[in-house]
Order: sequence, then C-alpha cells, then structure tokens
Amino acid sequence: MSSATIILWIIAVILFVFSWKKGTDTVKLGAQSAWNTTKQNGLLIFLAFIIVGFVNVLSPEDLITAWIGPDSGWKGILSAEFLGMLMPGGPYVVFPIIAILAQAGAGIAPVITLITSWSTQALLTISFELPFMGWRFTVIRWSAGLLVPLMTGLIAILLWG
Amino acid sequence: MQFSLKKYRVHLVLAIVILILGYFAFSRGGWATVLQGFIGGITILIKEIPLLTAAFLTAGFIQVLVKKEFITQWLGRDSGVKGILLACLGGGLIPGGPYVYYPIAGALLSSGAGLGVLVAFVSAKNLWSVSRLPLEFAILGPTITIRRFLITFLIPPLLGLLVEWLFGGSINKIRENVEK
Repeated sequence: MSSATIILWIIAVILFVFSWKKGTDTVKLGAQSAWNTTKQNGLLIFLAFIIVGFVNVLSPEDLITAWIGPDSGWKGILSAEFLGMLMPGGPYVVFPIIAILAQAGAGIAPVITLITSWSTQALLTISFELPFMGWRFTVIRWSAGLLVPLMTGLIAILLWG
Repeated sequence: MQFSLKKYRVHLVLAIVILILGYFAFSRGGWATVLQGFIGGITILIKEIPLLTAAFLTAGFIQVLVKKEFITQWLGRDSGVKGILLACLGGGLIPGGPYVYYPIAGALLSSGAGLGVLVAFVSAKNLWSVSRLPLEFAILGPTITIRRFLITFLIPPLLGLLVEWLFGGSINKIRENVEK
C-alpha cells in the first residue's frame, strides 16, 4: 500500500470521527455523498484507467528520447512542453523516464519545462478532471497554464544556461 | 435522447480516445497488445481501489462537514488572496493522483469555492505536492528537484489570482456545468 493511500485513509478516518461527533446522520450523509460520487463516476474512472493501460502498453519512451536530445535550446523547451502534455501516468512512471533523459544529457531547462508541463498540462489527467469539474473549468485552467511551462524553461535558461 | 447524449458526452470522448489508442496498440502488436493494455488498465484500477475509496470518503465527509458559509467565507469569490493561499496550502499537502484531488476539488466547487481558489488548489497540488517531493528528490536528484521547485513555487498563487481576475465571474456557470 502506497504512502498516499495510508495518508488519505488517515484523513478519511479523522473526518469520519468529526462526522461521528456531529451525529450518525452526518456520517450517513457523508457516506451517501461518497457513494453518489462513486456511482456517478464509476464508469468514467473505469474508462480513464483503460486509457492509462493502453498508454502504458504503447510506451512512448523511444519517441520522447528522440524529441528532446542533448542539444535542445528553444526547440527543446517547446518539445518539452508538448511532451509533458502527452506523458502518461503518475510520478512513478514519469520521473524514471525524465531521469533517463537527464542522464542522456538533456539540459536543465527542458527537464524543468517537462516536469512542469506534465504536472499541470497533462492531457491524460483531463479524463479525470472533466467529470468532476466540467469542461468550462477544464478549458479555463488548462489554457491559463499553457504558457507556464515555457516560462519556467526560459527562466531556467536565463539562470543556469 | 438529447438529454442522455449530453449526460454521456464525457463517456463518449473517453471511449473515442480508447478506440484510437486501441487502434495504435493493434497496429503495433495485434489483439495480444490490445488485450495487454486492457488488462493493464484494469490491474492498475484494482490496485488503486483502496486509494479511490479513501478519496471518495474524504470528499464525501468534506461535503457534509464543511458548512457552505465556511467555504464561501474562506474559499469563496470574496476570500481574495487569503483564500488562494489557503487553497495552495491544502493542495500542496494533499497526497494522491487526479482521482483523489479532483473529487475533492469538485466537493469544494459545489460547496461554494471560487474559481481562483480551485485553480490554485489544483496547481499547488501539481507543483508543490509535498508527498511527491521525496520521490522526485530520490529519482531526479537534488539539483533538478530544488531548481524545479524554486522556479515553479510562485505559480499556483499567481495563476489563481490571474484566473480569478480574468474569469472569476464565471464560477456560477462552472458550478451549473457540473451539477447538470
């Protein structure tokens, strides 16, 4: 069991105790709300995980290495932003890939752009965002953040070359 | 008919993505690869069920415990910089993937949180992420991790403020968009 699971269960239990203190009705309502969320989004989450499974099987690592090689500069930052959007999976999948790129000689700037873009602009994450936040929120959040990875890369170039 | 189509719009988009990826998988390794992707996805899903359960319970209890007035006061449209900083702190501390923090953000949204606050919450989750830092540190090393963290440190509050300033007024439409 991952540490995230343990921490989240601790939070859930603490919230449960608080609800319990407010009365059994509050506990019931909370559980009901959790169940409704599960029912409403169960199928969507199932579909999202199937997507994750396919992306893992297609393993685009080779492609990634080809795009931001050692000599990058501006083009490297642009490709890094684009790659970050396409990067699949959580930190356990993505950080090792980025580590391989860094070892292969990718500059600090594209690496930072890549991490930032994957963190905030990843397209795969949108399949989880849409059901809970709606398309309007998703469009605003995603477009507002579009330039951020490029800016971080640029700052990195200015600071560390 | 029209209604049900609208209700399943997101399902449809995801299904199309699956079909496209399925086609790529098929062209790479035939049905075996398609099956491998399918089973791989289900395996990850099953492994994440304990985490998903905890996330949905947390979101559910937040919804009933935290009073609407409280959210509106601390995280609503008029909460200003204070609300955005609070959201950054919350986002930075919460562990887990998108299927954890989006249900929680959704609960905050329906309880009356403002747009800037929600964007700050999601961005801080993705850029500050205290629970992810040890892993980043371990795999990518101190130089990359520290420089990456420093450069992106101000982004969650700034992005929250910018979005609130530009689009803050559309929060009610966003809320309707989800509740429909």
